[in-house]
Amino acid sequence: MKRLSMLMIMMFTVGILAGNLFADDTLELSIPLPLTGSQAKFGEMEKYSYIIAADEINARGGIKGKKIVLSFEDGQGKPEVSRSIVEKLIDVDKQQVIIGDYSSACSKAIAAVANERKVPYLVVTGADDAITQQNYDYVFRMNPSNAYYAAGLISFLKQVVKPVSIAILYESSDFGTSGANDMEKQALEMGMKVLVKEKYEKGAVDFKPILTRVKAEKPDVIYMVSYVMDASLLMKQLKELRIDAKLFAGGAAGFAIPEFVNNAKDAAEYVVTATLWSPQAKYPGAKEFAEKYKSKYGDYPSYHGAEAYSAIYILEDVLKRAKTWNAEDIRAAMKATDMVTAFGPIKFEDKAGYQNQNFMDTLVMQVIKGNHETIWPESYASAKYLFPIPSWRSRK
Amino acid sequence: MIPLEGFLQTLIAGILLGGLYALIGIGMTLIMGVMKIINLAHGELMMVGMYIAFWMFELFKIDPYLSIFVAVPALFFLGIALQKFLINPVLKVDSILPENQVILTVGIGMVLANLATIFFKSDYRSTPVDYGTSAWYLSDYWIDTPLDLSLSVPWTVSFLFAVFITISLWFFLSKTDMGKSIRATAQDLDAALIMGVNVKLMRVVTFGIGAGLVGAAGCLFIPIYYLYPSLGGQFTLIAFVITILGGLGSTIGAIIGGLILGIFESMTATYIGMGWAPVGRFVIFIAALIFLPGGVASLLKRQRFGK
Amino acid sequence: MKKYLPLIILAILSILPLIGLSSYAMHILILVIMWAAIGMAWNLLGGYCGQVSFGHAAYFGVGAYTSGILYYKLGISPWWGMPLSIVVVSLFSLVLGFIVLRLRGPFFALATLAMGEVMRVTTENIGWLTGGTLGILIQKRTWVSKFGYYYIILLVAAGTFFLIKKLIESKLGYYFVAIREDQDAAESLGINTTLYKTIALCLSGALTGIAGAFYTNYMGYIDPHVVFALHDISIVTIMIVMVGGVATYWGPLVGAIIMVFLAELIRTIPGLGAAHQTLFGILLIVIIIFLPNGIVGDFAKIKKIFKQEAPRNELN
Repeated sequence: MKRLSMLMIMMFTVGILAGNLFADDTLELSIPLPLTGSQAKFGEMEKYSYIIAADEINARGGIKGKKIVLSFEDGQGKPEVSRSIVEKLIDVDKQQVIIGDYSSACSKAIAAVANERKVPYLVVTGADDAITQQNYDYVFRMNPSNAYYAAGLISFLKQVVKPVSIAILYESSDFGTSGANDMEKQALEMGMKVLVKEKYEKGAVDFKPILTRVKAEKPDVIYMVSYVMDASLLMKQLKELRIDAKLFAGGAAGFAIPEFVNNAKDAAEYVVTATLWSPQAKYPGAKEFAEKYKSKYGDYPSYHGAEAYSAIYILEDVLKRAKTWNAEDIRAAMKATDMVTAFGPIKFEDKAGYQNQNFMDTLVMQVIKGNHETIWPESYASAKYLFPIPSWRSRK
Repeated sequence: MIPLEGFLQTLIAGILLGGLYALIGIGMTLIMGVMKIINLAHGELMMVGMYIAFWMFELFKIDPYLSIFVAVPALFFLGIALQKFLINPVLKVDSILPENQVILTVGIGMVLANLATIFFKSDYRSTPVDYGTSAWYLSDYWIDTPLDLSLSVPWTVSFLFAVFITISLWFFLSKTDMGKSIRATAQDLDAALIMGVNVKLMRVVTFGIGAGLVGAAGCLFIPIYYLYPSLGGQFTLIAFVITILGGLGSTIGAIIGGLILGIFESMTATYIGMGWAPVGRFVIFIAALIFLPGGVASLLKRQRFGK
Repeated sequence: MKKYLPLIILAILSILPLIGLSSYAMHILILVIMWAAIGMAWNLLGGYCGQVSFGHAAYFGVGAYTSGILYYKLGISPWWGMPLSIVVVSLFSLVLGFIVLRLRGPFFALATLAMGEVMRVTTENIGWLTGGTLGILIQKRTWVSKFGYYYIILLVAAGTFFLIKKLIESKLGYYFVAIREDQDAAESLGINTTLYKTIALCLSGALTGIAGAFYTNYMGYIDPHVVFALHDISIVTIMIVMVGGVATYWGPLVGAIIMVFLAELIRTIPGLGAAHQTLFGILLIVIIIFLPNGIVGDFAKIKKIFKQEAPRNELN
């Protein structure tokens, strides 16, 4: 009998959840994010950025007179939980548009559901190329796909560094792997020799063995794709082993967050990294957002924050243009998006095998005197790049 | 560069890493040896130790190595409290599978990691000490050296601390009454009871010592690593491997096990590929389980008794 | 009543979707039933036979990848992975069992844990077969509606339930329990412990593998970190059984309800944010301190509490 009563309770609660919570003068928006677990750092950063954007829009009177009320659901970085959240948002809360989540794995889980249920989904940070290569009509991605993350960096390599060989180290995640594969392809196209291509398990303590091997090969460029603090450990240990190269380059993520410089300190100097955005980016509102974020939370946001912040503005723009606020009209309006946000220009295009993908210039930052400065493309630069870089031995 | 240099540099890295691993493992080997429980919150206890070191550095500019003197007692008492109020009540009850304590330690780990997330945010933290990236280079002392080897300052200091702590522990266990009682409890519970050992107290103290040791490991790790709330899991795994390699409850075994693991991992990374290093870790783990069920300790024993 | 309980519950579960549950509720139900099935499979090996495995993610993942590789390499419908996974995972379990079954107690536990991790890293490293860390994404899932998935996993779970029930009530079941209670004594009574442990391991593995193959079909995306997860699969499985009740028929279902449904409820409490895990962790600690044999295992204890407080409200 107990099981029965338990089932009853279960159904009862589901019934309650199904109750509609809509009020007329607000726009309720729930966003799935990893708030616990190993990706929580980025979840938090995005959460704060969403809130900043929503507060700004609400201060101006909201969207069509409706105030945005944000809530956040913890997907824990697990795809099935993210899916639970989205199923709930679509079914129970009747939310007509989904934005958010962080990792590629979770974004893939959400994209499949959203497309099946015909609810538009705006991918904010998930970078895996495959997400927008599935002929999903309802999935839009504002960040460039992983294959384009390093586009700016590659033009920097071509025009300034002109290397003949490269070593690629990457973390064994989908982000790291696809980033490394793309770089390998591009490097071969440029006629470079790929001397080392090695992956490592995220959270590794000691990179010295693998770096010892890199040292023996003497590559011109050492390119590393790391999500998080592995980036600073790599640089610290490169410095310690005095491994010199023409250029140390990072593939966004771990190299582009402020913690990288704070932790690696002098070892971070001269390191360049691909990035999608920087606080000095010359897009309207970029600087203001960065400053606001810093004054509230103590540090500059990385591009993840800018993506989240701009996602709300894209939503505002879309909802203003949409005929009605149901999924079909929102999708149509989103498809027609053509705007410039603090993150950069946003336009969802079908090309090069992608659908509803935003293509944009990616930037290169260099750590100069302990600050991330934008150095490439030169039209965006906030400082002149420093190249060639001094050897470890001659620094001090 | 010649291959020898790479080999030696890898060996150095492996030994330094192994010494630090050993310290993480010793806490667990004690706990598992004495109480036969699988403590899945071990890494989370290390995380707590690291946060103590971090905040001491952040607020009072106290060097992480000095924080050992704060973190060890703090974790000692935390461990005692956990053992007394949570683990003992579960162990006391007769249940179908004694492994139900696993849920308890998972629960404890979850709460610790989550509390850290709530109170300290998920930010990646570190203690950027001045000596963080300094190293000694052979070429600085011997200009024409054919081998350019280097030795990281914080790694070496951490390693020496780990060795020192391990030796003190070994003295404690083999020379003091309490240490002997703990070892007796680990080897034969009933016999220890008959000989008048306060088994209950020993268990509580052991958990405290185990927690304190891993807290110390946290302080030694933070200058060379970084910190975030959910970092515990991977270190729990490493501790398991060392515990099995070294043999349950054996301090010396844990040291040797740690060194074997460190060197083996480094060698795999250099000569096979870093992506395979974790496979290597678990392969020696399973090999040790099968071919050397008592761990390194059993080899040592055999030799001593001339068997 | 007691005799027909399984059938009654099965009947209720089969008509449950017909009352018009939302897709979200169906999703949660599917996860509950999937986890219940995995829990039952674990229970066979861990609960009855006493071999506490910390590596059921290995079987789950191999099952999931059986489906995934069929689709990814051969372009065959991943549904074939469900029957095929029985064969593949059984063979895999046989090999694995040969290695780990000679170990006992905590050593067995840790060896299985290591096996799970070995499988994860190996899958990551053999990208030509498994897609490596990029995982396998199934472009189009079979159905949008959840009905099909629901009944398939219900069938799997019910099959698992009755199979295990039958097995445990047969002679085999007594051998299993004998091994759990005292392996040496069992051996001296002439029970071929290695054989029976291998049987339990293979069955348990194969049943977990089917659930894994189902997961691939249902979620449409797998990668090594997801399906070989130490915490999110192996340990969650153990918790489901231990919280529900070790060596009980219904323990895994109750455990799955707690670990999936209750966890989801707690997660969605508004305003709790990241703190839901603390609440859930405390809940686990409380359950295991007061009910060391799990909810079903210590059901008598719960009854007693209610009896003391309200003697008349007792139904059972």
